[in-house]
Amino acid sequence: MKTTETRAIIEVDGLTKVYGANGTAVHALRGIDMNVAAGEFVALIGPSGSGKSTLMAILGCLDSPTAGSYRFDGERVDGLSGSALARIRNEKIGFVFQNYNLLPKASVVRNVELPMLYAGVARRERRERALELLETVGIGDKARQLPAALSGGQRQRVAVARALANRPKMLLADEPTGALDSKTGHEVLALFQDLHSRGNTVLLVTHDPTIAALAGRRVEIHDGLVRPEEAAA
Amino acid sequence: MSAGQGAFRERVRSAWTEMRENPGRSTLQALGVMLGVASVLGGFSIADSQRRRAEELFVKIGGLDKLNVQPAAAVKDGTTPSALQTANLGLRGVDAESGESLDRMRVAGVSQQKMARMRVRSPYADQERQVSGIAGDYFAINGYSLEAGRTFSAHDLESAAPVAILGKEAASVFFPTGDVVGQQLRVGDTPVTVIGLLREKVFRFREGQGNIFAWRNRLIALPASLVARRMQGDAYERLDRVTFRLPEIHAMSGFSKQLDVLLTANHRLQRDFRLDDMAARMKKMESQGDIYNMIFMLSGVLALLGGGMVNVNIQMATLKERVREVGVKMAIGAGGREIFKEFMTEALLLTGAGGLVGLAIGIAFSKIITASIGIPLHMEAASFAWAYVLAAVFGFVFALYPAVKASRLSPMEALRYE
Repeated sequence: MKTTETRAIIEVDGLTKVYGANGTAVHALRGIDMNVAAGEFVALIGPSGSGKSTLMAILGCLDSPTAGSYRFDGERVDGLSGSALARIRNEKIGFVFQNYNLLPKASVVRNVELPMLYAGVARRERRERALELLETVGIGDKARQLPAALSGGQRQRVAVARALANRPKMLLADEPTGALDSKTGHEVLALFQDLHSRGNTVLLVTHDPTIAALAGRRVEIHDGLVRPEEAAA
Repeated sequence: MSAGQGAFRERVRSAWTEMRENPGRSTLQALGVMLGVASVLGGFSIADSQRRRAEELFVKIGGLDKLNVQPAAAVKDGTTPSALQTANLGLRGVDAESGESLDRMRVAGVSQQKMARMRVRSPYADQERQVSGIAGDYFAINGYSLEAGRTFSAHDLESAAPVAILGKEAASVFFPTGDVVGQQLRVGDTPVTVIGLLREKVFRFREGQGNIFAWRNRLIALPASLVARRMQGDAYERLDRVTFRLPEIHAMSGFSKQLDVLLTANHRLQRDFRLDDMAARMKKMESQGDIYNMIFMLSGVLALLGGGMVNVNIQMATLKERVREVGVKMAIGAGGREIFKEFMTEALLLTGAGGLVGLAIGIAFSKIITASIGIPLHMEAASFAWAYVLAAVFGFVFALYPAVKASRLSPMEALRYE
């Protein structure tokens, strides 16, 4: 991955997000500038209400900014249509959520297959890759089970496997250890570090400074702005 | 986005998986369709069975394919008939002949009938009875068939031969020993020879009901010429009824009008005869069927509407679960269109499967109802098609709302939905 290390995955310029109408408008983001290069492990940190979740949603192409520009993987994505954003999420971003967000009634392997289903990957290939990924995250033996039969740590591993399904440009983890005890949490974080060491770009959203310390770089959000001293990289 | 080949198959497969993963929800959703289809099919089939039975009856008792002409009084009571009116000879054999020649292509049979009440005697019984003087294709038109002996020959009919053919009941009254053909009978003062015995006619509208054709077995048939000439001394051989049979039911109204014009001309513009109003009869039959169909269609539609409501209700009740699901799917890359297609595929699959089960329930339902009212079940392919198409339409329409709603969710809001 050495050749692509200098290439920017995220280029954000003057990003703002306003909720609500004129009178009751809430300015969640008030002009964010930040960059993430390919292969970086970045922690996005900030207390609740700082606008961190809003930024995460926009960076993850789940939401559109009110103003400002956002280039993801060299492509301008602010103002793209819903279906275009869906395609970017599908092909280039892997999500890991605090509460796992697995489909409760689908088996573990089917959960991992789902992003590939939307990408139009053939059935056999899908199944093979899903099993391979489950092996990678260390729960290859749980493929046929339902998420409810798994422990929190195992569920989060399923979520990581699912996030990796379409070989994304970036892993976006939103408080991935928030629902886990500290031991399991550390295991999951170790998994992210491992993935980073293998060349994956990881953006970790957290409110916990000790977790953020594991990342190569911290970006702190406060009152809808990036704290200046942390922004320099 | 599952573009590329086999996307549809994938969608059906995953919809099927979805259904299997949520058996309770799926069954409830399909239930409305099942009941709707069952009630439409059941309703149609019961109406069809009933109507088929009524048509059978109608055909058997001299139904739609026959046109009767009877004499009617051209002169009102208390007025003196004009010379023109008295000069008319009433309904006669010549009317039957001219009617037949009106449209030889279509008229399949003509019968003539002359009624009389006579004293009928045999060695075993002596009764006042109605006797029928007949000519033409009387037996064929009225669905009689011979059990023994022979029918009247052309010569018998022309020469007013003293011969008789008996219905089953008449035969058993006058010849209880069972030996009928060749026996002698006195009708009025005329001795006649029984040359034929008719098969018993039976028709019950439902199992266990009485034979509504019992009166037909009382027939004592003689040549019309015998009754008119020898027994009543009527040289003009006036008739009580002429019946035309037209196998093509749709030609009936036209023929009826033509015959009316012709007979009016023949009778010197005196309307001393009466035609069955076929058009009115046909209309009545048809409108009866239409009303049945309307009623059952309406009840089926109401059932489907109810089913649709149930469906939407369930969608609403499971909304939270579903919205989260949609959020997750969107986060991992499903676009609005993909979500829409998933919802629709699932709903249509449910409708399809529920519809099939509904057809089975409908068949069972119709069987039970028709068996309980004692008529044979008659189902038409069109009823199946109607029931299924209606279900499909309702399934589609009611699926549309939740599917559109789901597809328009914002991924972020859906993920955070509580």
